[in-house]
Amino acid sequence: MTRGRIELGDITQHNIKQLKKLNQVVFPVTYNDKFYKDVLEVGELAKLAYYNDIVIGAVCCRVDTSENQRRLYIMTLGCLAPYRRLGIGTVMLEHVLKICHDDGNFDNVFLHVQVNNEGAIRFYEKFGFEIVEEKKNYYKRIEPADAYVLQKSFRQPKAMQNGEAEKKS
Amino acid sequence: MPTNNPLPPKENALFKRILKCYEQKQYKNGLKFAKQILGNPKFSEHGETLAMKGLTLNCLGRKEEAYDYVRRGLRNDLKSHVCWHVYGLLQRSDRKYDEAIKCYRNALKWDKDNLQILRDLSLLQIQMRDLEGYRDTRYQLLVLRPAQRASWIGYAMAYHLLKDFSMALRILEEFRKTQSQPKPFDYEHSELLLYQNMVMREAGMHVNALQHLQEYEHQIVDRLCVCETKAELLLTLGRREEAAAIYRDLINRNPENKAYYKGYEEADHFWVSENPEDRIGFYKEISELFPRATTPRRLPLTFAIGESFKNLVDTYLRKELRKGVPPLFVVLRPLYSDPEKVKIIEELVTGYEQNLREVGCFDRGKTRQLQRAMEYVDKGLEHTPLLIELYVLKAKIYKHAGDMEEAVRMMDEAQSLDTADRYTNSKCAKYMLRAGLIQEACDMCSKFTREGVSAVESLNEMQCMWFQTECAAAYQRLGKWGEALKKCHEIDRHFTEIIEDQFDFHTYCMRKMTLRAYVSLLRLEDQLRSHHFYFKAARIAIQIYLHLHDHPLADSEQENNMDTENLTPSELKKMKRKQRKAQKKAEVEQQKQRAELERREQGKTKATDGELDGPKEEELIPDKLARTEEPLEQAIKFLRPLQNLLPECVETHTVAYKIYSRKGSKLLLMLQSIKRGIAADPNDPQLHTCLIRFYMHVKGQAELPAPVQTVIEQEMGKIYGSKDPKTLNEEFLSTNSCSLQHLLAGAQMMYLLDKSTQEKAISLATTLSSEIQGISLKTCCHVLESLKSGDFGCCDKTVQEYQMKCHSLFPCAAVFMNPSPKVVGDCAILTNGSVS
Repeated sequence: MTRGRIELGDITQHNIKQLKKLNQVVFPVTYNDKFYKDVLEVGELAKLAYYNDIVIGAVCCRVDTSENQRRLYIMTLGCLAPYRRLGIGTVMLEHVLKICHDDGNFDNVFLHVQVNNEGAIRFYEKFGFEIVEEKKNYYKRIEPADAYVLQKSFRQPKAMQNGEAEKKS
Repeated sequence: MPTNNPLPPKENALFKRILKCYEQKQYKNGLKFAKQILGNPKFSEHGETLAMKGLTLNCLGRKEEAYDYVRRGLRNDLKSHVCWHVYGLLQRSDRKYDEAIKCYRNALKWDKDNLQILRDLSLLQIQMRDLEGYRDTRYQLLVLRPAQRASWIGYAMAYHLLKDFSMALRILEEFRKTQSQPKPFDYEHSELLLYQNMVMREAGMHVNALQHLQEYEHQIVDRLCVCETKAELLLTLGRREEAAAIYRDLINRNPENKAYYKGYEEADHFWVSENPEDRIGFYKEISELFPRATTPRRLPLTFAIGESFKNLVDTYLRKELRKGVPPLFVVLRPLYSDPEKVKIIEELVTGYEQNLREVGCFDRGKTRQLQRAMEYVDKGLEHTPLLIELYVLKAKIYKHAGDMEEAVRMMDEAQSLDTADRYTNSKCAKYMLRAGLIQEACDMCSKFTREGVSAVESLNEMQCMWFQTECAAAYQRLGKWGEALKKCHEIDRHFTEIIEDQFDFHTYCMRKMTLRAYVSLLRLEDQLRSHHFYFKAARIAIQIYLHLHDHPLADSEQENNMDTENLTPSELKKMKRKQRKAQKKAEVEQQKQRAELERREQGKTKATDGELDGPKEEELIPDKLARTEEPLEQAIKFLRPLQNLLPECVETHTVAYKIYSRKGSKLLLMLQSIKRGIAADPNDPQLHTCLIRFYMHVKGQAELPAPVQTVIEQEMGKIYGSKDPKTLNEEFLSTNSCSLQHLLAGAQMMYLLDKSTQEKAISLATTLSSEIQGISLKTCCHVLESLKSGDFGCCDKTVQEYQMKCHSLFPCAAVFMNPSPKVVGDCAILTNGSVS
């Protein structure tokens, strides 16, 4: 059986409802209106994933400047259950990593994962992410409420100061 | 020039400048020069100048003054060809073509060799299809300008259109001989040859046409057309092998063109009758040659049967499914008319279902197993909630089940998921109109129409007829007769507009030598109103005019007299609130429009050379349309094109009968409609009711004028034989005892003929027994309407019973819902399944 076509596409005001619907199905968390408003403004940082022209996944990120660092935060990355193990997550994550690489100024990329979500943890570890922290009671309405922070760094600690210097200039 | 008072040189020079200004559209300057001449008291009444002033004013939109000046000019100089020509041009600009032709003829009386006038006349003649007149004018043009190509072509074409093929061919051949050796790739010469060939074929001269084609092949640049025509001719001449060879080449050129396969099959016809496997083998061979082509894989599905069909459709489905083609169903739908094939497809698809659920739902919808279809769609949605087609499909299923409200909700959901998709947007608007949500539908459409103009206006400008037809039907259902009529008239005007539009092509095509295309355009325009868009609009208009004839609007009566008595107080309140809201919205909308209109109007006056195309049409005011003095005449206006262009459609004649039967004692016209109806479809249920009613009508007449009496008696003898209506009706019922539509018509007539048969008639019409065919939502609605409208006398209890029976048959259909306690019943189960 030939493999289907996997493509990424822009999120616009015309198809934003598809993202909403997808997130409703894929994630146990509901996102507020601001989330969807912001997503329209971030360009390449938010993408829909198509399998044979049908939306089956999406990835949404934002730039985070906490901890004196310039970091990319993956807010959501998900795919409909029947379409997993087809390489769609990989395409989305590679897209995100490419942005980091092309930009060259990110210290790291990170995300939160429910502690029991082994599949996801394994997936990210494959791409060089590591568990750097455990946050108790991170989630409000779901069980378990604890989350790991998964992170992939792009610089040695020394280079980190470089980044800071740039930010100050 | 035989004009009465020629101008002295100075003024004459000024007059020439007026003409020049007119040609160059410098109307303001033209008026200045006219003033200079007319300002001189000696020439203040100079006819030709006055006429030209009028013509110039017309171009500036000052119609009334224009007519005044042109008429005054003409009165002052009746022997001037200029004045007559100008008057003709003025009439032409108002689309009064017959009048304009008369004027041109008068102009030619005073200057019979005036080329410009002759050309203008020929244009009007071809537009009005005065072919004999056209031929004569073209002859004169040929005599006057024998060196011009257009003179010859026009003259030949006149004969072609008059079907005098041999004369047309003689002229074309004479002309062709005068042509020197054509340059390579001379497109116009090539078109001329192909046109010549077309005339030959229409004349039935197949051998000559083939020879002609072979002889000039190297001069024709449209290679594809040469091959196609040659193959066609060879086929007609029975030279099958040669034809087959060419068709085989054509398939290689374009393996997706169905016509080539058809041609090939006809040419190589031996295996149509003998061995179907050979036929399948041929397609297999082609599809191996062109693995990406779909046509050679799709076509055999139509004729293959049994096991070989199963194999073929299996391969076909698998390939398409792997590619991920959700609208596969659309391609396969034509096969669903064969129940055996449906079964095979269903078996196969259910087999795939394990991992390919979405597709399962497609066939169910068509085979009317709505409940199961819905389950499949929901399964599909569970699997892939963002496959928008599934929402569309779900909406369609609700529509077929008769629950329009839910259908709209689903379609709106589909639309909201991709608001950049105009197809779903339009579908959603259409569903809204079906549900009577007119304002909502307009708002939906406005997402894609031009900004600043209301959607309704913009869609009218774009001649968007599906929307207008659906609108008309929606207004009709709401009892807003005027609004509905407005839409029908708008559609009618689009057709007039399209016929007007050909004017430009009379000169253009002749100049560009696109003669084949031109002739087919002329033929298309002749048939234009046979288009089903016109038919639909005309049908609605006629129905409404008939209703308005039977129930004219009272003076004070508001139009929107929906049957409010069937609603509960709270519903009534809700409806009133809705109406108020809609009204308010409409007012705001109107204000916006007015502002816009003013703005545009201003823009128009700024652009000085704003040439008006065509006269301003009378505004269509809904209330005025609904209060017409002569609804039947209006209905006849819509009927005429149907009678001329769609005589094979039985409905044309049944509506014609309904109009004439209301129009005094138009016995002969009624008879004519019946006779034509019989020729179209003698067993049509509507026609049957006309037949019975006509019989009774004639019997009810007192004295008839002797000639009419004779005709009627003679013709009725032919139609009815010696049978009386009761026997006729009995026969009709027994020959069509298995068709609900026929039973309904028969039962209606049974009661009409004999009131004592009420019980029997009702039981015939309300049968839902399983051996009856045609028990659909639509026909059952007709039965219910008929019961309610009193076709069977008073029968309230039956209505309720019937409604309940239908409700259990069509649980989702809104029409059969019991009005008082709103039982949602089975529908609720379905709605629960929806993801929202």
